[in-house]
Amino acid sequence: MDDRRHQELRDEELVALCQQGQSEYFNVLVHRHMEKAFRIAFDFSHNTEEAKDLSQEAFLRAFSRIKQFDGRAKFYTWFYRLVVNLCLDYARRKGRVRWQSLDGIVEENPERAELADSSSMPDEQAMAGEAKRRAESTLKSMPDKHRTAFLLRNRQGLSISDIARVMKTTEATVRVYLHRAVAALRQSLVEFV
Amino acid sequence: MSEKKQILESACKNFEEDLVLYYYGEGPALERQRIEIHIVSCSRCRRFLDDLQRILPQVAQPAPLPQSFWDDYYSETVGKIAARHEPTYWWRDFLAPLRAWFIPAFATAAVAVLAVALLFGKVGWNDQAVRSRAALPQEVLADADQLEFFNAMDVLESLPVLEALDGAQPETSASRKG
Repeated sequence: MDDRRHQELRDEELVALCQQGQSEYFNVLVHRHMEKAFRIAFDFSHNTEEAKDLSQEAFLRAFSRIKQFDGRAKFYTWFYRLVVNLCLDYARRKGRVRWQSLDGIVEENPERAELADSSSMPDEQAMAGEAKRRAESTLKSMPDKHRTAFLLRNRQGLSISDIARVMKTTEATVRVYLHRAVAALRQSLVEFV
Repeated sequence: MSEKKQILESACKNFEEDLVLYYYGEGPALERQRIEIHIVSCSRCRRFLDDLQRILPQVAQPAPLPQSFWDDYYSETVGKIAARHEPTYWWRDFLAPLRAWFIPAFATAAVAVLAVALLFGKVGWNDQAVRSRAALPQEVLADADQLEFFNAMDVLESLPVLEALDGAQPETSASRKG
């Protein structure tokens, strides 16, 4: 497999190669989407190990169902749908999620942690920490659909139409979910920023 | 802090949802233009948009993870996929439910059949031979006796050979005539 060439291939071309039996090309898709998949799963589980398990399970499912992908949607909307469905199932199963900060992982690498937190003054750090906690708490308390729409837009950068495809709903409904999530966050965070 | 809470007010009802989309860069150009014209004259909507611009980037910034984490994640995921991707054959899938008990059961049955055959086979075959002779009709038995007679004739025909073997002079055709 030519490393440089396969990086240039579009998702759909890689999928087509996988469908023809060249399954090693699926690794490129893993490399390309692993960060987003993990982030989505972490936003739901707030636990590193469970986020890893959920996102890896999504990759395994995508791999075993790759022949069912018909190319009508983009690969990433099809794949993120798998991730989101697994996460929603997880949230339903768990009921209550145990919240763990991603900072816990970063602490293993202090240089990066320092880069990640740009605020240098103790007061600012305290405020930033409190704002982060408040944001997480607000996200946690909002309905799953509102949170999903918000995270896919705000953290993953998906368009409204892609979110609608991932969530299998209409764009108008996504707009409502997004607006409600944003309004709730504004309400709880405006005093910190 | 409480002062800020007091001044928090919503945007115009007809614009609030559109302002969220505007913040995210969504919507057609004409719609975005309509919002831009509106916020010039509406302080509530301007403040709402300003709040979004300050708040939402904060929520969007998860801490970056070290490269080693992603390296481990990638190799672990690829390993799991490779483990699941063992070559499969249709007949293996077909026989899979049988595989657990099929081979031991087949072997046990084969051994049992062999043992029964060894124990009772010989007796059974002899009985069958006796029973088969008794069951033959008389004509067939008579034919069998005739067959034995014709076998004896074969011996008579080869009598000269037997005499020669005994050292006696064979009777010639001339002496027989004389």
